[in-house]
Amino acid sequence: MGDQTLVIDCHAQAGQGVTWNEPERLVDYRVEGMLERAAEFRIDRICIMAPRNESYGDANIQVARLCEKLPGKLIGFAVHNPQRDAGRLKAVLTEDVRSRGLKGVKADGHPTREMLDVVAELGIPVIYYPGHNPRSDLTRMFHLMAATFPTVNFILPHLGAYRSSPWGAHFEAIALAKRHPNIHLEASGLDGHQYLEVAAQDLPAEQLVFGSFAPEHDARVELYAFKLLKLPPDQEAKTVGGNMQRLLQLKG
Amino acid sequence: MKTSGGLLAAPLAARLEPLVGASAAASPPKSPNKVPVIDCHVHAGMARMAGDAEDLTDPWDTFNDPELTLRHMEEAGIDVSVIFPVENWSYEESNKEIAEICRRNPGKFIGFARHHPERESGRVRSLLHREVEELGLRGLGELHEEPSREMLDTLRELHIPLLYHPERVALYQDFVPDYPDVNFILCHLGSDDSGDWREHQAGIQLTKTYPNVYIETSTVIIAPYLEKAIEELPAEKILFGSDGADCDSRMEIYKIRVQKLPKEKEELILGGNLLRLLGGHL
Repeated sequence: MGDQTLVIDCHAQAGQGVTWNEPERLVDYRVEGMLERAAEFRIDRICIMAPRNESYGDANIQVARLCEKLPGKLIGFAVHNPQRDAGRLKAVLTEDVRSRGLKGVKADGHPTREMLDVVAELGIPVIYYPGHNPRSDLTRMFHLMAATFPTVNFILPHLGAYRSSPWGAHFEAIALAKRHPNIHLEASGLDGHQYLEVAAQDLPAEQLVFGSFAPEHDARVELYAFKLLKLPPDQEAKTVGGNMQRLLQLKG
Repeated sequence: MKTSGGLLAAPLAARLEPLVGASAAASPPKSPNKVPVIDCHVHAGMARMAGDAEDLTDPWDTFNDPELTLRHMEEAGIDVSVIFPVENWSYEESNKEIAEICRRNPGKFIGFARHHPERESGRVRSLLHREVEELGLRGLGELHEEPSREMLDTLRELHIPLLYHPERVALYQDFVPDYPDVNFILCHLGSDDSGDWREHQAGIQLTKTYPNVYIETSTVIIAPYLEKAIEELPAEKILFGSDGADCDSRMEIYKIRVQKLPKEKEELILGGNLLRLLGGHL
């Protein structure tokens, strides 16, 4: 990877809401601190999206405004709850992308056919973390969805298990990504680096993406996890930015 | 994809290493005045479970390889690691194993004993005396169960610290006021993997309240709480730990180094404080 290679953080947060991870707490994520750290460590672009909210209309507008101010630095993702926004997803997501310039969507809830039809039409990636409960094992959440929408690029955060709990879900996520080339694994918030090492051994570089979940997590530390993989430069470049550049259809 | 050797890591390293110092990449040169870098929380050895307890299901009830710890230490510039057993039904054998690992790797490990306060009740005092006085172990940890009075009294007799990972930080209040002369190390900044941010807050507060309670940094994921601890606590109260070998000490020490603390503070956190708690000698 040379200096021309983009480093893109695919999963950071901005604005007001509550934390995704429980127990909930109120948050107001400011981009200034993230931008300082990004400048220091030459993270070129940051994909920002709202924290959890009851409704996302205003939050998505705020994200779009932040991105308008720093178009070379911030890339906005919308957030929508596919169940709450049922019946209006085509309209709101199309407006988010075509009018407000947002480049992807995070699903707060299991993506529906309605959501994925419009996502496929818009050609944007979907970030979706199902969390963990007995009825939301990763295979059930991703296998049929990824097969039904092979042209949609999915990003599964935390290698499938936030805090590596349960750690076995990392292996399930890796197996899913092996089967479905449209599933990409983001690796923030792991308990052990060895799970990312297994993912790097088992998967093509095209399916790992650097994301930090900043400012909850330290983007500098999450990026360091990729350095420790000691990948060949061309593969490392894909994981830390090249893949997101492709998924977002960004020019270099 | 195939991972490969260190030379291939150079491009991303160029973005990261200048900001964390050369010591992150290789063992630092030894000098007589250098404060050693000590990882105060590492598991080692084999699990031997019994009864209805599961084994061979999780990293912490199977095996933690000290050779992996040594490789990570070398790469991360960690001079010494404090090692103690993974989950066991009882700990007499595993503590002997810890002492043996220390003996085989002189200068690299400090051994702590581990015991179960209920399953080994009535035997803890004699076992701990033997383990400290004959096997050379230097502390007790990592305890997940609330320490018994038998344990606490023995810690006091032996002048050794306890590394305790409670279910809730508030459990410390049950015994700390009665043992002001025993040093306690609260694991994981109060919450393993930042599972509950309120426990991080409680841990920081507990450490502020009691001069003999220290806080250890392993597995903190929610970065603002590590930053809060560093901001609000004297550096003398914070200890670097990794929870290796399952957790990667190279990542865990990077979380401290990336804070770019003044040298004196960083030295205390990365080893000086534990050295003091061990009486000033390794």
